Amino acid sequence: MAVETHTLSSCARAATAEEARYRIDRPIAPSRAGRVVALDAGAAEVLRRTAQQEWAHARFYVCGPAGSGTEDVVLHTIDGGPATLADELASASVVVMVATSDAGAGCAYTLGKACWERGIQTAGLVLGDGTQAGTAASSAVAALRPHARVLLPSADEVDVVDLLSALRV
Amino acid sequence: MLRQDINELLTRTGPGTPMGELFRQYWMPACLAEELPEDGCPPIRLKLLSERLVAFRDSYGRYGLIDEFCAHRGASLWFGRNEEGGLRCPYHGWKYDTTGQCVEVPSEADNSSFAENVKLTSYPLVKIGDVLWTYMGDPATQPPLPEFEFALTPPEHHYTSKRWQQSNWLQAFEGGIDSSHVTFLHSGGLKSDPLFKGAKGNQYNLNDKKPFFEVADSDGGLFVGARRNAEEGSYYWRITPWVMPSFTMVPPRGDHPIHGHFWIPIDDENCWAYSFDYHPMRPLTEAERQAMIDGHGVHSKNIPGTYRPEANMDNDYLMNREKQRTGEWYSGVEGIAIQDSSLQESMGPIVDRTKERLVPADSGIIKARQKLYRAAVGLRDKGVTPPGVDPAHHHVRSAAVVLPQKEAFLDAARDDVRVRPGVPISSV
Repeated sequence: MAVETHTLSSCARAATAEEARYRIDRPIAPSRAGRVVALDAGAAEVLRRTAQQEWAHARFYVCGPAGSGTEDVVLHTIDGGPATLADELASASVVVMVATSDAGAGCAYTLGKACWERGIQTAGLVLGDGTQAGTAASSAVAALRPHARVLLPSADEVDVVDLLSALRV
Repeated sequence: MLRQDINELLTRTGPGTPMGELFRQYWMPACLAEELPEDGCPPIRLKLLSERLVAFRDSYGRYGLIDEFCAHRGASLWFGRNEEGGLRCPYHGWKYDTTGQCVEVPSEADNSSFAENVKLTSYPLVKIGDVLWTYMGDPATQPPLPEFEFALTPPEHHYTSKRWQQSNWLQAFEGGIDSSHVTFLHSGGLKSDPLFKGAKGNQYNLNDKKPFFEVADSDGGLFVGARRNAEEGSYYWRITPWVMPSFTMVPPRGDHPIHGHFWIPIDDENCWAYSFDYHPMRPLTEAERQAMIDGHGVHSKNIPGTYRPEANMDNDYLMNREKQRTGEWYSGVEGIAIQDSSLQESMGPIVDRTKERLVPADSGIIKARQKLYRAAVGLRDKGVTPPGVDPAHHHVRSAAVVLPQKEAFLDAARDDVRVRPGVPISSV
């Protein structure tokens, strides 16, 4: 009499904890060259603290308008050094914009447009409760909405760190 | 990516673990009411949060959820005889009531008080809707009963099923708030599934495969909004609520019933996926109910007599490469539920999140993990009651709405995402 054998399917075999031990275990390189941009003074304060932490490829900036009547923006590194938007975006794969008010609406527009043209992924964090109409944060949300592929309208400082950590920037 | 220590904290739910203690703050589904269909019916074995339990319905109709093993010699009470007013271990005749109190030890003298001092661990078991709910935490902090709308509608308005998923609860739950996979994995279902097809919103979904996302806090968890282009000057928003720890609702489509899930840990490598459908305004039609029984929509076709899907890892989920090639089933697996479970189980029992490469579109998942972590640590270190315990947090709905482009989704849809008795769901 033949002995019936039970052969596991490839899915059942592959999904066991035992098999998981054999997955390729190679160190993962940071996958994102992140540019983290404060759109107003409140956000700049947050990013100064965030930048103190250890990051692989993240660079931190403050963005401001170049002057009235122009869409151009001026970029500074978080410690005040000069930076050029086109140069910084040339090597970027994600741009994270941080806002606390709508003061940076013009910067959000220019940055968002520049990222769109270059195929760079964007994310926006608004610190405060941007879901409540009439607040400074809600104005910031409105300013960022067209330009951020992902928007966290009620974020706090920890969200900035957690998002950047999760993205391995 | 997620640090290994946080991954461990979020995925381990046994007694004494921070996440286990968090789950024990909530009422959660223990089993379906259909599993204990009548007074005095056979007991069932359950494992919840890594605790082995027996559920039974005594001869008076009272539900009980007690330690699976007899206090005497440790025999399983699943073999028990459901006698008048209690469950009797067939080994030596010890009998327990629905509170776990031993009421009879036959070997003791007739007037012995020995049984009074024997009590098994027990948890309350309460029927609301199609579900028997339990609370496994400290009785002193037992919250009021759950008030999720699906369970409170008349019986003919709702349908609930469950399926065994062979993975940790967290990777199953994360699929419930990951709106970006729908456009790919479930794209075939939007055209053919009887519980999805025909809605105007489906066309917005299929026309715009690169949605924008917004993730906003709510009292009980999160709202995740996925935004796609609609007509000139407007956006189509699909809004998914999450109520902690593991309740999610899928945004509706047309006048189809609205649906959602609960993800409940069995142990650290298995969970129950509870799936429900309901319509707040009308009874389900016969065709809708039959489609749900047949495994359409968010439900699964299970092996008769079990809650294991017919398509499971032992048969490679009945993979059909031809349907995959034609796109009828995008992944080659049939049905929304198994499309999800096949990929989530393929990650392994507990996925190693230190190796992930997340993208901004995963912000809902990132934020949910953060909230779970904060809640578990806040409970452990400071005894803070977590979001989602208060029944007022349960009064949420998912929504699918078209809004002017300038409107903030939660501002404009605040009424759409809360339960309003007698008001239809907001759906396109």
